[in-house]
Amino acid sequence: MGYWEFLVEYLPKLANGAVMTVMVMVCATLLAVTVSMVFGLMRLSSHFAIQGAATVYIEFFRGTSLLVQLYWIYYVLPLMGLTLSPFISGVLALGLNFGAYGAEIVRGGIQAVPRGQYEAALALNMSPFSRMRRIIIPQIYTIILPPAANLTVELLKATALVALITVVDLMFVAKQINATTWLSAQVFGTALIIYYAMARFALIPFLRWLELIAARKIGKA
Amino acid sequence: MEWRWEFAWEILPRMLWATGNTLLAAGVGYTIAVVLGLVLMLGQRTPYRLINMPVRELVEFVRSTPLLVQLFFVFFVAPQFGIKLSAWTAGMLTIGLHFGTYLSEVYRGALEGVPKSQWEACRALNFTTGYTYRRVILPQAFPIALPGMGNYLVGIFKDTPLLATIGVAELMHTANALGAETYRYLEPYTMVGFIFLIISLPTAMGLRRLEAAVARAQGNTRH
Amino acid sequence: MISSFKTTVASAIGGLILLSSAHSSLADELTDRINAGDPIRLGFATAIPWAYPGDDGEPLGFVNALTLVVLEEMGITNYETSVNEWSGLIPGLQADRYDIITGGMYILKSRCENINFTDPIGLFGDAMLVPAGNPQGIHNYQDVIKTGATLVTGAGFNTVEAAKKEGVPENQMMLVAGEVEILAAMNAGRADVAVQTFFGAKEHVEKSDGKYDVTDPADMPEWTQNWVGIGMRKSDPDFLAAFNEAMAKVIGGEKWMAATAPYGYTEFQLPGEDASTEYACANR
Repeated sequence: MGYWEFLVEYLPKLANGAVMTVMVMVCATLLAVTVSMVFGLMRLSSHFAIQGAATVYIEFFRGTSLLVQLYWIYYVLPLMGLTLSPFISGVLALGLNFGAYGAEIVRGGIQAVPRGQYEAALALNMSPFSRMRRIIIPQIYTIILPPAANLTVELLKATALVALITVVDLMFVAKQINATTWLSAQVFGTALIIYYAMARFALIPFLRWLELIAARKIGKA
Repeated sequence: MEWRWEFAWEILPRMLWATGNTLLAAGVGYTIAVVLGLVLMLGQRTPYRLINMPVRELVEFVRSTPLLVQLFFVFFVAPQFGIKLSAWTAGMLTIGLHFGTYLSEVYRGALEGVPKSQWEACRALNFTTGYTYRRVILPQAFPIALPGMGNYLVGIFKDTPLLATIGVAELMHTANALGAETYRYLEPYTMVGFIFLIISLPTAMGLRRLEAAVARAQGNTRH
Repeated sequence: MISSFKTTVASAIGGLILLSSAHSSLADELTDRINAGDPIRLGFATAIPWAYPGDDGEPLGFVNALTLVVLEEMGITNYETSVNEWSGLIPGLQADRYDIITGGMYILKSRCENINFTDPIGLFGDAMLVPAGNPQGIHNYQDVIKTGATLVTGAGFNTVEAAKKEGVPENQMMLVAGEVEILAAMNAGRADVAVQTFFGAKEHVEKSDGKYDVTDPADMPEWTQNWVGIGMRKSDPDFLAAFNEAMAKVIGGEKWMAATAPYGYTEFQLPGEDASTEYACANR
């Protein structure tokens, strides 16, 4: 079978898998962003217990391996009576894991906002909440977006792991086609190219665009 | 399902043995990555477009595709071209290449972090290129590269469980096998998690100390 | 106020428990769900020709095919599939990710302790997959030990237990994820010999353009001959009984044989009159 015939026959199936990959990626990113924000802010809390809880969370999820977390959620949680669908298990593991890395980026971003901004907001008699929301957070986007963009590309790559817990994503479809056809070079080669194209020509340009928007909003473009 | 201590105790020797394999895999993989990273970085810095363009594209490609898919690619495809690699060799080379591309970026950033004036001064003093690298540039670039290198050491350690998927008998692989034999997944998988935590937390802390020590030794006490 | 709220909640929970227990005294959960019109979920791995997914996840292979014949006899035509790693099949069933295992599992003592099996659907044996001409002369586990060859098989396969019982040292064993990886390991020269089901080995020989041979299953220890059943949760005994009843009507019949023939299943695989799951659970 020539490569062209291979593509005609199997590209639609791989594309279906790629759609699932994108869905996992989008859901996991949304969860990761939320987790990052919450735990990043908690890390900066002056309250001992809140800060401690965030530190434990972050160190725990960064200190164990993503695959281990994924298997734990998929295989061990059901033993405790909580059976989540493969899709939810995958999104949860990815979101919680990358959220831990993201929290450190958020913390760094907030700490990088000049001290004077806090003091000015204080002088204007703003409540701590609106100080965060209206003054500090809008400024951190330009700081955190570049490292967050790297992390997002890592997340896209990490979605391939959900194939190991039976989510029918691009990697899963590739494995399946390989099992019946043994056209390993074609199938895994094509899968690699699709992942590359998603990162290089869709995700990265999108993230650059976000960076641009953030810079413009704050008047630094 | 209840946690059974006697079962955990019973499988502990096999888990620890496998932990040794995991550390070995991480160590060998990292060594390959450190060397390959250097080669890739030099390849990108050569002035010949015929070399630096393909190398840059390769680095870009490897960096933006999943390690898991790369492992399967090497595992299944290499034999079709008559390259017979053991699961270990295939795994080490793939993970080494993957992290080598990251390290090449770390090296590149570190070299660019050394002020241009240092090069100019060396040229003015008529130092050879080799001497300049050895005595002037690298000693300054190393502390800049150290945090990144440390991160990826911990990173490669945490990615070794992926090797289980192609049959390398590391920690995750052993936990899978134990689970399949005994139908108990609670203890093996939980123990894998804790073993990772026990190793990676002190390592990360140690690396931070090391960075600080190197920075001090360089007379750079700004942070 | 609070206390009255508490009692309301408590009585509501109590009522729910009563309700559900009253419910389950009629039939097990799976039977109830099927009666309510929910699809039955088939769990299997990729093991050609036993059970494997088609391009759109449809259930292929003879175990799936004969399961569908039995289900049809029971009046069930609504099904879904879930494709897993072999070693994940039993945990997945226990975690309620699917309702029955149609992977083609041998009825073994260690498995019986964790799940139920239907009556046997056939009697099968294992064989060795060796390089063409069998240069090392390997026909069974003892030959593996003698030659010091590296033996590859799948994690969670019955062959892992069998090899251990026969005394194959751990450092001669290589465990991979499944059938596909077994052939890959042989192709790459990572292993000298593979042990798997006779059917699986035959499939690999056909795929390999004469690179491999399969040994005679009769050369394997007699006790490694195994009956295969459909796996079910221990908590679904009523569904199991209904399945067995329906299967007794169709096993070996025209529909059964026609559905499985394309995958190489013949009357030689039929389990025989005296085969029983109880016996297999106690002795295998």
